[in-house]
Amino acid sequence: MSILLAAPQRRLWPRRLGLPGGQSVATTLLLVFCGGLVGYPIVFLVAESLNAGDAETFPPDAYGIDNYLNLIDDSRVLGNTAFVACVATVLAVALGFLIAWTLTRTRLPGRAGLERLMQLPYYLTPLVGALAWAILASPHSGFLNQLWHLVGGTGDLFNIYSPWGIAWVMALFEGTVAFVMISAAMKSMDPALEESSRVLGAGKWRTMLRITLPLVTPGVLGATVFVFAEMLGSFAAALVLGVPGRFFVITTTIWEATLSFPPDYGRAAAMGIALFAVMFVSLSVYRRIVRRGQYATITGKAFRPRPLEMGPLAWLLFALCCFYVLVAVALPLAALALTSFQRFATVILAQSQYTLANYQTALGFGAVNSALGNSLLLGVVVATCGVAVIAVLVWIIYRSRVRGANLIEYVVMFPQAVPRMVFGLGLLWAWLNIPIPIYGTLWLLGLAYFTVLLPLGVRTLAGVVLQIDRSLEECARVCGASWGHQLRTVTLPLMRPGILAAWLLLFIASVRELGVSIFLVGPKAQVIAPSIVSAWVSSSTELSAALALIQSAAVFIALVVLLRAARRYAGEIG
Amino acid sequence: MIEVSGLTVRYGGVAAVDGVSFTVERGEHVTLLGPSGCGKTTTLRAIAGLEQPSAGAIRIDGRTVYSAAERANVPAEKRGVSMVFQSYAVWPHMSVFDNVAYGLRVRRLPAAEIAREVDRALDLVQMQAYRSRSASLLSGGQQQRVALARAIAFSPSVVLFDEPLSNLDAKLRAEMRVELRELQRRLDITSVYVTHDQEEALAISDRVVVMNVGGIEQIGTPEQIYHRPKSRFVADFVGSANLIPGRVAGGDGQTIRFEAAGGLTLAATADRAVSGGEGTVAIRTAHIALAANGASGANAAAGTIRQRLFHGDFIQYVVDWPAGQLIVRRPPTDLYDEGAAVTVSFAAEHCVLLDG
Repeated sequence: MSILLAAPQRRLWPRRLGLPGGQSVATTLLLVFCGGLVGYPIVFLVAESLNAGDAETFPPDAYGIDNYLNLIDDSRVLGNTAFVACVATVLAVALGFLIAWTLTRTRLPGRAGLERLMQLPYYLTPLVGALAWAILASPHSGFLNQLWHLVGGTGDLFNIYSPWGIAWVMALFEGTVAFVMISAAMKSMDPALEESSRVLGAGKWRTMLRITLPLVTPGVLGATVFVFAEMLGSFAAALVLGVPGRFFVITTTIWEATLSFPPDYGRAAAMGIALFAVMFVSLSVYRRIVRRGQYATITGKAFRPRPLEMGPLAWLLFALCCFYVLVAVALPLAALALTSFQRFATVILAQSQYTLANYQTALGFGAVNSALGNSLLLGVVVATCGVAVIAVLVWIIYRSRVRGANLIEYVVMFPQAVPRMVFGLGLLWAWLNIPIPIYGTLWLLGLAYFTVLLPLGVRTLAGVVLQIDRSLEECARVCGASWGHQLRTVTLPLMRPGILAAWLLLFIASVRELGVSIFLVGPKAQVIAPSIVSAWVSSSTELSAALALIQSAAVFIALVVLLRAARRYAGEIG
Repeated sequence: MIEVSGLTVRYGGVAAVDGVSFTVERGEHVTLLGPSGCGKTTTLRAIAGLEQPSAGAIRIDGRTVYSAAERANVPAEKRGVSMVFQSYAVWPHMSVFDNVAYGLRVRRLPAAEIAREVDRALDLVQMQAYRSRSASLLSGGQQQRVALARAIAFSPSVVLFDEPLSNLDAKLRAEMRVELRELQRRLDITSVYVTHDQEEALAISDRVVVMNVGGIEQIGTPEQIYHRPKSRFVADFVGSANLIPGRVAGGDGQTIRFEAAGGLTLAATADRAVSGGEGTVAIRTAHIALAANGASGANAAAGTIRQRLFHGDFIQYVVDWPAGQLIVRRPPTDLYDEGAAVTVSFAAEHCVLLDG
């Protein structure tokens, strides 16, 4: 009885009495703002997928599940998607595991440098990677096939325009995540666990089989599921290498459906939702695995594992790492560079004519140039505004005790579970049907980037906020500072190195963005990644190569600054 | 002056602090002592305004800063209290001067006055030489001093200490203990201090509040807590004591007769009027005398040395006696061999009947 009376009272008043107004107001505003940005396109997408009438009317004049039933007709596409994703995942995890193990557990020359190089393909982007490999390994004219003919081979050694080729490129340029996740799992393992096995008399191999492998299994399993989800939503490689040969996966089918006349948004939306559902399930599985596997990384702190002496095998593993750098970094960049200076991407290398014309076109006036400028502008603005908003957001999620903080976390991490393409489709459909005229402008691109990059920003800055000892902030409050004053004088200055890193990551992610941009660019709002695609589609291989290199250069410059900053930060802390 | 009444703090369904009441007089130094998880730090943080209580009231210098009944909760920055944190919480991105000046700057004092007050505070903790040094370059002990200077710089009415010495090594801790006590007397500040170190609590407090599982076990001066523990928990947690079960066989208010096992009848002290029933008495290990040859005294009984452990500052004996075993601590000069027959004795006033 007394409990019944007491409960509602307690629920009502602590909010009124406990919290400083500023935090509640900021929380509500951010919740509404981010909730709107994230939820709005998804609602439209779901509504459209259930549209049984004319696909181009909104709101739909009839609802039904026809679009979903029609998916059965697309079983070929679903099979293609599953095949490519599985091959790419197996390849990426196998490569990632071997390289991670080699770089964390053996004594190799130049380990630190190699480890950094391993992450380059990710920044190179699958789009650029696919372009480069199209130049390297297309039938007849690909550089590698030309080389094969030159040494007397007949037929084609490689055909990149095949499911295997797509999976190969995806594994190389999107599979880097597997390497990063697996080596994190290996680094967080306490070497004492292995050492005690050795001390108790188990040999090197027995220790590896009985101790090391079981301990990293959850990490590897988690990486596998995560990478698989990524591969399902992968777009660029399938677009560049699959579409010319009429080989479609889900993402490229969605893309085609929106391009067809009349655009079949209903079919695209149903496919998108189906893809989202699979990806959501995969990511839930991933989270379960990671949570259950936490015994392997109890302390969560990085150890420096004792490297093993591998003997001659080490050189084999070293060769594998070098091979990876060769096929994922060196060859692609070389091929792009060569092509970008050619007048025509010629069949026979010996007859090439070299020119700077492609760069003149890219950097000169016109649509292409404005795409580059727009991308850089968007990168700077999105990174700057994004970091400012996300810093406050992250503080509220992880530090305040405001009601609704958990809900905010859920909302802002949501875009991570939606394939980029699908989110782009939702945004397209949502903003086409709203009376605010920002479709086809940079404003919409900016908002879209901010929305899809929220999870990246939140994850990066969360690590920074959680590192700040809570009492540093509490002390400011006890000394008499208000919440705003505390943020300004204590929290934000302490977050500064992390904020710089987050800024650069958001900048890089904006500049290379494709999945959302490709739906939202307009004649007056071009950005670089879709321009590369259009240059490619209009058969201007040389121009697309030049553009790809320019985009990569922008990303690499930001990356170098990022690494410098990270090193200086580490120096300050150590 | 701080009045805490009926304070309750809940985390989820669990009450970390459950109906705690005590008062700290003006200029008094009160320590909350207890094992980890007893609610002492939560109580302190509730006074600072860093925890949200669910019931009770807190008044500082007559002003209500929290009251469930009046639905009042003054935010931390408006309470005018100050706090020294366990981790020191010295801001690494500021100089020593900026750290100490923080509270003064928030209060928008003129620059000259800020400089004067900072210098005064730094002088008090002997850190004047480090005035313009970056706080990230200080040692643990120096950070401790800066944290202290920062806490007293803006002349708060109340200073709260959350285990401020627990991160220092033993020798430095002992030195800082002396300095803190000295500083506290000189500045005449009202303070609440939290620690799990009973020696520290006894050494620097005017009064000690012993806490356990969210509630108060006993409040008293360090001497009262040590000599007259009220509960089994206090006897056990503060100092070291022998707990002897038995029954009360009668007595006259203060002194009682207590029947222990082995047909032993002890003269003991009780704070309340009791006439019978089961009970437990506590005897501090340091209050027990040993003698070689059948000497008689209060509560004297024959015993045998079972074990001797040399600790340096004292020797700890395990003695077999009629009511079981006793732990006895004697000065290192009081030497007996293992197996030796001894007489055990202790004064009635040191044999204290516990509540419950």
